[in-house]
Amino acid sequence: MRVKYEGVSFAYGSTEALRDITCEFGSGRTVLIVGHNGSGKSTFLRMMNGILKPAKGTVYLGDVPTKEKSTSELARRCALSFQNPDDQLFAQSVAKELRFGIDNIGADGSLLQPIIETFHLGEHLGSNPYSLTYALRRLVAIGGSSAMNTPVLALDEPTAGLSIREKEYLGGLISLLKKQGKTIVIVTHDLNFLLPYADDMLMLSHGMAQFCGRKEALFERGDGRELMRRSGIRYPVYARISAALGSDRVCFGPEEIIDLAAKK
Amino acid sequence: MKILSFQSFSVSYSADAPPALRNISLDVNERESVVVSGLSGSGKSTLCLAAAGLLETYPAVKRQGVILRHGKNGSEEPRTAVVLQNFYAQITYLRSTVLEEIAFPCENIGLSREETFRRVGEAVEKIRIGHLADRNPLELSGGEKQKVVLASAIAVRPDLLILDEPLSQLDPETTAYLGDVLTELKKDMALLIAENDPYLTLKVADRLVVLDEGSIVSDGRTETAINESTARYLDLPAWTVCVAEAAKKGLIRKEPASSLYELDYRSAIKMLRGHG
Ligand SMILES: Nc1ncnc2c1ncn2[C@@H]1O[C@H](COP(=O)(O)OP(=O)(O)OP(=O)(O)O)[C@@H](O)[C@H]1O
Ligand SMILES: [Mg+2]
Repeated sequence: MRVKYEGVSFAYGSTEALRDITCEFGSGRTVLIVGHNGSGKSTFLRMMNGILKPAKGTVYLGDVPTKEKSTSELARRCALSFQNPDDQLFAQSVAKELRFGIDNIGADGSLLQPIIETFHLGEHLGSNPYSLTYALRRLVAIGGSSAMNTPVLALDEPTAGLSIREKEYLGGLISLLKKQGKTIVIVTHDLNFLLPYADDMLMLSHGMAQFCGRKEALFERGDGRELMRRSGIRYPVYARISAALGSDRVCFGPEEIIDLAAKK
Repeated sequence: MKILSFQSFSVSYSADAPPALRNISLDVNERESVVVSGLSGSGKSTLCLAAAGLLETYPAVKRQGVILRHGKNGSEEPRTAVVLQNFYAQITYLRSTVLEEIAFPCENIGLSREETFRRVGEAVEKIRIGHLADRNPLELSGGEKQKVVLASAIAVRPDLLILDEPLSQLDPETTAYLGDVLTELKKDMALLIAENDPYLTLKVADRLVVLDEGSIVSDGRTETAINESTARYLDLPAWTVCVAEAAKKGLIRKEPASSLYELDYRSAIKMLRGHG
């Protein structure tokens, strides 16, 4: 399902958070939203599943403007996992937490088992989420949202607080959902880990879209580096390494660098 | 001089839970920065809670061994400030502006108005949150809240600053300058930082402690602590990942594998270019 923002603005009282955002993510794309702290990333996501409605402009999920739908109807189209997992978790056990969203919207639960396996949550199903480490709580929160099997999935900072082991699990989940044709929209500061999974990027600065499009296009632009700097983004380290190795094509992860080295 | 000393310290969150920390012996000296890394569940957060004296708030906790604290100038307790992994819970809910929020802990330790004012200003400048000064601390983005809690912690000028994953919600630019801020702070205080970000570790750590399942598996100077036996518990710098992978595939023929982990960026690029 495609996602489209048309001239979207939003303010919390007198604090402007998004200004005149226009962008579109095609169906089945994996999108990274990046930008400095306070640039409007979480606000953008909250608008995607209708927790917030635009003050100006229109957000479309598929062909439907979010304005015209109730929150529960939107929940069938887009699931959102929060920046702070503790804002999301409340069930007595991991098993109940993972099922909650599915039952709530009457979803097909066929993703539940694969998610439990990908995240290695099997041994924790009976535990109270609050007895788990922060990283596991985050996996439970992400797992519960993903299990709702919505065509669009929004993740706010999914790698924050994860160690390398759980990050790999998360990578597994993204690959799995991508194969199912989901549109996955991820807010992150962790470009070094997530860029290899991404198709598109949206870069925000002070509530404005600085770039929206294929990730390669950002790196091919003459002013790409400058745009990233202005948005509080450091040039990703694998891109830096590929440039240092004299590659004319930018690399996003270690595999591509190894391929480059193999050709030398 | 030692400021904090764990001596054969073990802890479990309840009688039937496996130990979260096992037989930990660890010293943190004045003006020393110690980074603690390890996989999730290895005990980093428990170590931070214990160091901050916050384990007492868990009623069912069982522990063994001791933690000794030595303050400056012969005082018994070092002044300690902490930013928890769940920093959201540290916002006081008592103050209506960011400046007042940051002033709260200074007022709590009885500093004068002028001194509080001076320290809050300094912290705001260090963490670069002047633009948030008059905002309500409850109405901020995640990263903005993390910065406010961090500023509150450094404003009291502690002898020991404990940070549990301080970079988790920060944008890359902030992450980069926070490394400089911490290096500067180290001149006046000891730092105990639970963090897996290898770039921060390389920048600020005098020592790297690696935990696995509650035990210390390595404790030493940062340059040598990242090695073949600790690599599997750590996020490695991107260039190290590339060189290690290339070596596995036989693309780099050279010395014993252990030295691959001591690489800096330049030597890694050289190796990947094929003339290392
Ligand atoms: N509940 C709120 N009330 C008022 N203002 C808010 C609220 N939440 C966020 N803001 C403000 O709206 C703007 C955008 O915030 P948002 O949370 O979308 O940023 P973000 O890009 O997600 O930042 P971070 O990387 O820190 O999570 C910021 O200026 C922020 O201070
Ligand atoms: Mg956010």
